Amino acid sequence: MTSLTLSNLEKRFGNVEIIRGVDLTIKDGEFVVFVGPSGCGKSTLLRMIAGLEDITKGSLYIGDRLINDVQAAKRGVAMVFQSYALYPHLNVRDNMGFGLKVRKVPVEERQRRVKEAAAALKLEALLDRYPRELSGGQRQRVAIGRAIVGNPQVFLFDEPLSNLDAELRVHMRSEIASLHKRLGNTMIYVTHDQIEAMTLADKIVVLHDGRIEQIGTPRELYTRPGNLFVAQFIGSPKMNIMPAAAITLKPAGREVGTGAAHSIGMRPEHLSVVAPGEGMLRGKVVISEYTGAASLLHVALDNDETCLVTHDGPAPAADTEVGLEIAIENLHFFDREGNAIDGKAIAEPAPLP
Amino acid sequence: MAVPATDKNSARFLRVPRLALKHREAVEAWLFVSPILTGFLIFFLGPLIAVFFYSMTEWNLLTQQAAFVGMENYADALSRNPDFWHVVRNSLIFAAGLVPLNMALALTLALALSRPFFGVVFFRAVFFAPVVTSAVAWAIVWKFLLQNEAGAVNQILAVVGIDGPNWLREPDWAMAAVIVTRVIKMVGLNMILYIAALQTIPRDYEEAARLEGASNWQIFRMVIWPLLAPTTLIIMVITTIGSFKVFDHIYLMTGGGPENGTLVLAFYIYEQGFKFFNVGYASALAMIMFVVVMVLTIVQLMLRRKDMQ
Ligand SMILES: Nc1ncnc2c1ncn2[C@@H]1O[C@H](COP(=O)(O)OP(=O)(O)OP(=O)(O)O)[C@@H](O)[C@H]1O
Ligand SMILES: [Mg+2]
Repeated sequence: MTSLTLSNLEKRFGNVEIIRGVDLTIKDGEFVVFVGPSGCGKSTLLRMIAGLEDITKGSLYIGDRLINDVQAAKRGVAMVFQSYALYPHLNVRDNMGFGLKVRKVPVEERQRRVKEAAAALKLEALLDRYPRELSGGQRQRVAIGRAIVGNPQVFLFDEPLSNLDAELRVHMRSEIASLHKRLGNTMIYVTHDQIEAMTLADKIVVLHDGRIEQIGTPRELYTRPGNLFVAQFIGSPKMNIMPAAAITLKPAGREVGTGAAHSIGMRPEHLSVVAPGEGMLRGKVVISEYTGAASLLHVALDNDETCLVTHDGPAPAADTEVGLEIAIENLHFFDREGNAIDGKAIAEPAPLP
Repeated sequence: MAVPATDKNSARFLRVPRLALKHREAVEAWLFVSPILTGFLIFFLGPLIAVFFYSMTEWNLLTQQAAFVGMENYADALSRNPDFWHVVRNSLIFAAGLVPLNMALALTLALALSRPFFGVVFFRAVFFAPVVTSAVAWAIVWKFLLQNEAGAVNQILAVVGIDGPNWLREPDWAMAAVIVTRVIKMVGLNMILYIAALQTIPRDYEEAARLEGASNWQIFRMVIWPLLAPTTLIIMVITTIGSFKVFDHIYLMTGGGPENGTLVLAFYIYEQGFKFFNVGYASALAMIMFVVVMVLTIVQLMLRRKDMQ
């Protein structure tokens, strides 16, 4: 059993509280991604799980073993570093076999396991090379190979792809996904790239300022963000947020109030351009950015808000008057504190008496 | 027909300025190195050639008589004068004691002081301070501390029940004392070099190794030490050279004694040249020392280069 339980974990560096009480359960074999803006404590949390930072408060279980005070090496975790941390004076074979050598695994078994891992990652041809003789993607694979060789229960990745170019990143992403499928281990993956998070994760943990904002599947986070922060963090381009007071909702031609909602969110990809005067909103195109697959329109609304709209098909020229329409079920409502409130009660027009 | 012509023209067009540029770069380069080059010629190469000439003369400063004697001085040193081999042996003992001790201590201190902790700067300063204190003051103070009965060292040893030797009056102890006090004086320099090198090693290496189950010793042996190799090499070379050139320390603490027990090469050269005024013989000794140091340096460099491959 390699589930993990984090219970009220806290971390302080001196007086600064970096992790402020994290509760999280990770199931056996789950692929969990930590996302969040830079400096929110993702790496710190991962390093606490790895045993590279001690835990100020709270408890951490792997399976049902409390491991707060267990040495890093005895936790059954392997970590892939953002820098790869391949030893420059050792070739690929010795880099991958390092942990086994340190643990005094007999030479033949060491060779065999390195060979197996190398085969799994298509590294056989590179075994005698030194890290400086490898490309970024190859180094990345060696780093993963080094983690696999030790046969860990849990894999930890700290932004493993951030040093790769865009194309390679996409490729390695799919390799990591298939690795997870093949090995079935529990994996925890840190990134601030939300595409990586969305594509890889069984479960995403959105962190902000040392706290968990929301936990959910990629779909849940996208369709039902729990608060303003998550709403704007997940999805690209980010969600338009407008004060509820600035909008009149007219589902099916009838006006409804916005109830307790303080602000309303609309994803750019859910808005569609209609003739001026029609639709829920009205405004003027300010800029139209062509991105290839679609255009990104910046629309200045009559209520003085600016709104992003993803639009495919021929884009309206700047200064064109447009109307914007959005399906009611795609609206997100937030209260004064920024927490999501169920939109149903608001948007559903009250039945006529 | 027109095509090759243009080719030729363009080729020439390209070539002329490139050569000119190369030429200009070369001139600039020589201009930039000329001050140091001038210094090198005047203060190093000139004297070296002069010494080489003196080494082939029998020249007594007192009588101002000089005679060309060819390789006689070298023959004297290498095969006729037993002092010479005794002195070489002393120099080797000095180096063999000082270099490992200095490097081991420097590395230990650097490992302890490379990470920030409260007061780390203070400790670094403490160990570096002797490097910048006057060698004369240092030697004299230690000579004082190492006196037989009145010396602080022996008094402290007496407290714990050890009857300390008369450090500077017994040949073996004198050598040991000179080595140790010299190490304490100079270790700070190597410590700083090691600290600088340690700080360039990314923390990730250590953490990755620790996660894989490496003990502190294994991390040091398998990760840190190999990555320090280039620094270790430099430190080894400069410390070895420094140990062959040691003079002030010997002069002030033991004067080469007792029973010539600390008579090392540099000091012997000084004695021959400026005490007995055998300038020719001293020059030959200096040439020998120059060659020995150079050969040692080259051998060390070659060994390490082979080691690193
Ligand atoms: N050893 C440390 N001492 C003091 N503060 C630290 C230490 N390590 C991290 N921090 C602070 O903790 C906060 C979180 O750092 P962390 O590295 O976990 O962020 P992150 O979410 O991984 O960010 P990024 O996406 O930029 O990697 C930062 O404000 C950082 O300055
Ligand atoms: Mg980080």
